Amino acid sequence: MKQDISALMDGELFDDEAEALLDKIKRNPDADGEWHIYHLVGDALRQPDHLHASISSAVRGRLQAEPTVLAPHSRVRQNARWFALSAAASVMALALVTWLSVQIGSEPAPQVAMQQQATALRPASFPVSSGMNDYLMAHQEFSPSTDVQGAASYIRTVAGQ
Amino acid sequence: MQAAVIKPACLSVLLLLASAGACADPVRQDDLNWLQIMAFAAHQTDYSGTFVYRYGDHVETSRITHIADHDGEHGRLESLDGPRREIIRHNDQMWCDLGNGKIKIEQRQGGREFPALLPEQLTLLNKNYLIKTAEEVRLAGFHAHGMVFQPKDNFRYMHKMWADSISGLLLKSEVLDERGGVIEQYSFTQLSIGGDIDRKWVVANQAAAGLHAADVQKVRQTHNDSRDVPHDGNTHPADSVPKTTADSVASGWRVDALPDGFKKIAEVRRQLRGKDAPVIQMVFSDGLAGISVFIEKSDSDEDDHEGLSSQGVIQVYSKLINGQLITVVGEVPPRTVMQVADSVRNGGSQ
Repeated sequence: MKQDISALMDGELFDDEAEALLDKIKRNPDADGEWHIYHLVGDALRQPDHLHASISSAVRGRLQAEPTVLAPHSRVRQNARWFALSAAASVMALALVTWLSVQIGSEPAPQVAMQQQATALRPASFPVSSGMNDYLMAHQEFSPSTDVQGAASYIRTVAGQ
Repeated sequence: MQAAVIKPACLSVLLLLASAGACADPVRQDDLNWLQIMAFAAHQTDYSGTFVYRYGDHVETSRITHIADHDGEHGRLESLDGPRREIIRHNDQMWCDLGNGKIKIEQRQGGREFPALLPEQLTLLNKNYLIKTAEEVRLAGFHAHGMVFQPKDNFRYMHKMWADSISGLLLKSEVLDERGGVIEQYSFTQLSIGGDIDRKWVVANQAAAGLHAADVQKVRQTHNDSRDVPHDGNTHPADSVPKTTADSVASGWRVDALPDGFKKIAEVRRQLRGKDAPVIQMVFSDGLAGISVFIEKSDSDEDDHEGLSSQGVIQVYSKLINGQLITVVGEVPPRTVMQVADSVRNGGSQ
């Protein structure tokens, strides 16, 4: 399950697999928790300056504490809008507070962040120059990719640079 | 004429290979069979279509036509966007026009025309990739069977392929990096399989290139008979025919830190265009991706540029070691070509 969630976040699942997994997450509170933790970890690794803490449970609590407005039928729409606005305001306020506290208080684990950067590192490279065509062609003759793709694999040699 | 194998014979050998492997690993045998079918289809199907090839910001459309008949394989690949580029292939002969108007002829090496994957290649594939069936989708009007090749380490890329569920012809393929980003995609937008395929080009384009059937024959014979460039008067194509004899050698060069899962499949000494001296080429395969190591004496007057360059899934890394220019080319991540280039050593005779 954890692997699946991780794969989903990395975009390695196909659409139908992803849908099935999201369904499962929705039904299973544990998996839902995992999902949030993975995202939190991912955020922390990518951008330790702006750590986004999980505030969903706090928001849920505040929303439940909001008074339910009982009013005549004709005014329901307007009330609903007010309710939404006040809820949105609460969420924003909470987010701001959380964000501020994280800004001040947190010291992200530098080692983990460094490792992540190392694996994501892609050396700077230039586009393949046309002088390389002969090497590419000579490589393509033997490359196993030609076995399955057939002549189409030569597109790598012919493609405009 | 390795390729002039008749279809029924191929098919029966294919089935034989498939059934021989069936005892080994019953779980993934279906997937391996699919691979065999795809490899067979790539070489033995008549088709014609348009596909889109993209990597990074680069997108281009090309037309491909392929015919397999009693005379072997005929293929033509033609760019539809940008400058005109074209490759025409007939078995081991190739005519390339890469935009500069020049026609060159390459001779494909080795007996690789047999349209089935060899058992050892499947073993390598199985060792290096987790092969999974992916979802069935509809592509270019065909019902496609999907397969995922998930690498077991980070020396190779992840590949996803979709093939027509009837013919086995590859309809779409994607190569993904370790973070799941698509680095290269190839996908048919229009395709006709079998039926009436216009084959005028098989002759017409050779004529346009100044290569009449007779010349082709002559060129081929000359290649077989001697290593000299043929000079037969009026034919300008002959001038651009490189001496492409590639002899298998034991060059004495080796790769000390070859990443796990790669196996040497060829080592040849060959002439590349515009090079004074022959070049050593070693080729390694992990079943799906290949790495070529080219070794040549560096001519210091030329600016042999060192470093990494890439185009989609292809990485090229060049490096000078003791006056020798090492060029590593492969459908693998940068770290793989760099590790290979950094560990090339000369273990004695050259």
